[in-house]
Amino acid sequence: MLALLADAPALPLDEAGRYVAGAYVVFVVLLVVYVAIMASKLARIERELREVANYAERQAAPERGSEAPSIPDSLVPHGAEEASDV
Amino acid sequence: MYGKGLRPLSIATVAMLAVSLSLVFFYAPLDGDQGFIQKIFYIHVPLATVALFGFIVGGLFAIAHLRTGNSKWDAYSYVSIHISVIFGVAVLITGAIWAKASWGHWWVWNEPTLVSFLIVFLLYCTYYPFRYAIEDRDQQARYASVFAVTAGAFVPLNFLAVRLAQSLVHPRVFATSNGGLPGSMMLTFLCCFAAVALLWMTLVKFELSAKSASGQVKRLRRALDAPAPGAGSRIAPEVS
Repeated sequence: MLALLADAPALPLDEAGRYVAGAYVVFVVLLVVYVAIMASKLARIERELREVANYAERQAAPERGSEAPSIPDSLVPHGAEEASDV
Repeated sequence: MYGKGLRPLSIATVAMLAVSLSLVFFYAPLDGDQGFIQKIFYIHVPLATVALFGFIVGGLFAIAHLRTGNSKWDAYSYVSIHISVIFGVAVLITGAIWAKASWGHWWVWNEPTLVSFLIVFLLYCTYYPFRYAIEDRDQQARYASVFAVTAGAFVPLNFLAVRLAQSLVHPRVFATSNGGLPGSMMLTFLCCFAAVALLWMTLVKFELSAKSASGQVKRLRRALDAPAPGAGSRIAPEVS
């Protein structure tokens, strides 16, 4: 990779280079902003899922006594059990 | 369900983007006429093409929704248009940057290619307020599908009209006569096109997976009769 970069011609980062860099930076920035928005949405979904799981467990607890939790493990997000224990 | 195959698709997209950018900056020769500025086209043109295809695909999904009544197709249509609008923003900005570098102006109003793309973009921008102005979900999905079909039919007509217009300002990437791009540039362009198309598919799948997860949580909440935080505020189609 380093050899390839060493052999590659120098990029003409003059006036034109700034415009080209600007165009590609815009593309990357838009992508990063989109991913950041999606990450926040996924975090919200995870939080809601944790709330629902906790609610379901609270509802089921008086009826079942010491039985296993009503929400399957696959629906409990990672860290939810630890969080609820604290 | 929607997340199936998302990981390999994402990996393929990242790999293809890396290969494409390497080809753009270290393989493709400098254009004799435009020089280094021409490298903007390797991102600008694929984005524009994929965005326009995305609008058409959104229309096709809308047809499927109107034919079957399955809300899954409405969600596909919505997400296709949504991602294409985001790509459209990138097209307009990268195009403006190229125009400034090449023509000395950020925007030229008497150039049919630019103005027609702006019209298509603004048309699809009205999709959101149009959709969200309707509260009833079924009606919203049906009207949005009709909009997507109508606007989707407008896209190729618009493209053809522009192609036939005799403008001497905006360059044509694929010349209709006397050659076109040389081999190395064409290879680079096709790789960039594949990378952007893969990116579009990945983002559509990603968005659908997120909507599906959100829909499942809502279903679970309804089934458990649990209190919903800010229920009823969501206006995007629900995917189950």
